[in-house]
Amino acid sequence: MDVILNLLPHLVNGLALGLLFALIALGFMLIVGVMELINLAHGSLFALGAYFAMSIIDPNLSYFGSFGDWYSALPLALRYVVALALAPALVALVGMGLEICMRRTYGKKAEYGLLLTYGAALVIEETIRITWGSAEQVMPIPDAVSGAFFAGGMIYSNYRFYAAFFALFMIIVVWLFLEKTPYGATIKAGAHDSEMVRALGVNLTRLRLLVFGLGASLSGIAGIILTPIWGLRPHVGVDVVIPAFLIIVVGGIGSFWGAVIAGVMVGLVVAFSGAYVSEWSMMSMYLLLIVVVTFRTRGLFGKKSALEN
Amino acid sequence: MKSPFAISTPVFTRPMLLMFVVLGTFPLWGTSVGLYNYLGVEIIIWIIYALGFNLLLGYTGLPSFGHGAYFGIGAYAYSLCQLNVFESVWAGILLGAFAGGVAAGLAACFLSHRRGIYFALMTIAFGQVFWFIAIKWHTLTGGEDGLLNVYRGTLSLGPVDVSLKSNEALFYFAFAVLVVITLLLWRIVHSPYGKALQAIRMSEMRAGFVGYNVWLMKWSVFTLSGVIAGLAGSIFAIAQESAYPDVMSLHASGFIVMMTLIGGGFVSFWGPVIGAIIFFVARDFLGSLTETWLLWYGLMFMAVMLFKPEGIAGVWQDFMKKQKAKSAATPTSQTPKNSVAGE
Repeated sequence: MDVILNLLPHLVNGLALGLLFALIALGFMLIVGVMELINLAHGSLFALGAYFAMSIIDPNLSYFGSFGDWYSALPLALRYVVALALAPALVALVGMGLEICMRRTYGKKAEYGLLLTYGAALVIEETIRITWGSAEQVMPIPDAVSGAFFAGGMIYSNYRFYAAFFALFMIIVVWLFLEKTPYGATIKAGAHDSEMVRALGVNLTRLRLLVFGLGASLSGIAGIILTPIWGLRPHVGVDVVIPAFLIIVVGGIGSFWGAVIAGVMVGLVVAFSGAYVSEWSMMSMYLLLIVVVTFRTRGLFGKKSALEN
Repeated sequence: MKSPFAISTPVFTRPMLLMFVVLGTFPLWGTSVGLYNYLGVEIIIWIIYALGFNLLLGYTGLPSFGHGAYFGIGAYAYSLCQLNVFESVWAGILLGAFAGGVAAGLAACFLSHRRGIYFALMTIAFGQVFWFIAIKWHTLTGGEDGLLNVYRGTLSLGPVDVSLKSNEALFYFAFAVLVVITLLLWRIVHSPYGKALQAIRMSEMRAGFVGYNVWLMKWSVFTLSGVIAGLAGSIFAIAQESAYPDVMSLHASGFIVMMTLIGGGFVSFWGPVIGAIIFFVARDFLGSLTETWLLWYGLMFMAVMLFKPEGIAGVWQDFMKKQKAKSAATPTSQTPKNSVAGE
């Protein structure tokens, strides 16, 4: 009984962390599922979303005179909500720009797309360094979600729970979008057989642009939610892109629930190993990947994909 | 049983001799054009590393995004050997190459039946595991700081002992290693084994149907590439007088991929050589102009990927083809060029 009580906080922590990991993987999953493209710039778009949000929440508006004063006087919570809506839209624009560059690589080997996004990741990261500096920064968060509470002799941070619930909310929204709207149906059809979808009169070029923009904005949202926990620095993207694709591979490429379940699994593994061998907690997820992929080549719920050729 | 009509591969070719002459004389002219000897050492080390890497990427078509791990393991093995076991440079280098090979061979056991993107993803995972171990195993690797007390020992060449203290001496030593590795790899890629590797790049399934043991070939080429990375890493440990986990990160592993591709590793044996030289010259040249040289290098890489994925060697080959077509059009055509020379 004592053992279970001791494990409970780690279980809660692991679940919360897992939902966050799943949120990170969502945008990545959408792009890899529909376009069969490993987007290594995912992490940089994540960082970009967070930087955009920080600038919107706490901008340097000295040029704008009275408007700047008026805006700075608005309550923090309101500015935060504005950032949560506006920053992902900006990231989506960047993502769409990237997609337009990517078009030349369609029809070639998948490695070309992967390498191009690697170059893009480097470029975005350096641009962040030029614009916002290399130092670690703090994203302001509203009072309503900061602070901590006590439960069962343990301290829990409010923000972690807010973030976990937000992640759950986003997972449900994306699922509803994919399953219950005609756009979602088209996107899923595009992932299944793009040739046929084009033959049915869908503008595949526009569909890909939309999917890439959507995926990019999801990475931006993940960045806004997660950087208050992980810290905001230009190379945060690298720390993020690897868990993201790890989760996709464990869950299986092209499977929505695979990604969510794998995210929760990774969260639990990291939390439990963190409790006992904290030094090595981040490595446990790679071991999980190696074990899963050794026994199930395509991940837990993966289907055959063109990426294997 | 050799057919009398078989095309034999020359041991030396014109581009190879050109590379040897240009690089081998670097200490004589490098300083007068504003470069320095240590840059030469770095370039040579990364050329060795990139040539070994291209055996995997360019010839077999297997993209590895975690190759920095084997380079770093070579550096650690050299340093640990020097600090704890033998002081001999030879022993350290052999051990470095061996350790790189063992680590790569171990990873390759899990990798060799993967294809395409799954292969790439698994190489990243293994690269990260090794990188993590390097950072966390403080008692062995010194954690994030690495091993700092490495010194440049003396190289015993039979009766003579040569001190590697000066960058010039180290340069000639690294260059000698490069010559051996180049001749070896040139031989390998033109052997039946090398041809089979290229068959795997074209179509893994067909190579299997023809009767090659694809798994074993992928395993062996990954391991061989790890051995060369470990060798390059151990020379890097001598040059830097330390071994640290930075070279094992995903970033550093990405650099070797970028170098190999910008130079044109897909179409030419010499692509990685060009790519490594460009990388370091760009680093020094752009780095002196702007602090964010990586931004410009990244843009250059994106442009190459978009417009000429065959890299600089591809541009050169197109140029030579055009020249040939031109000279063929005019009646006074010159003697045909050696086809291997353009490779």
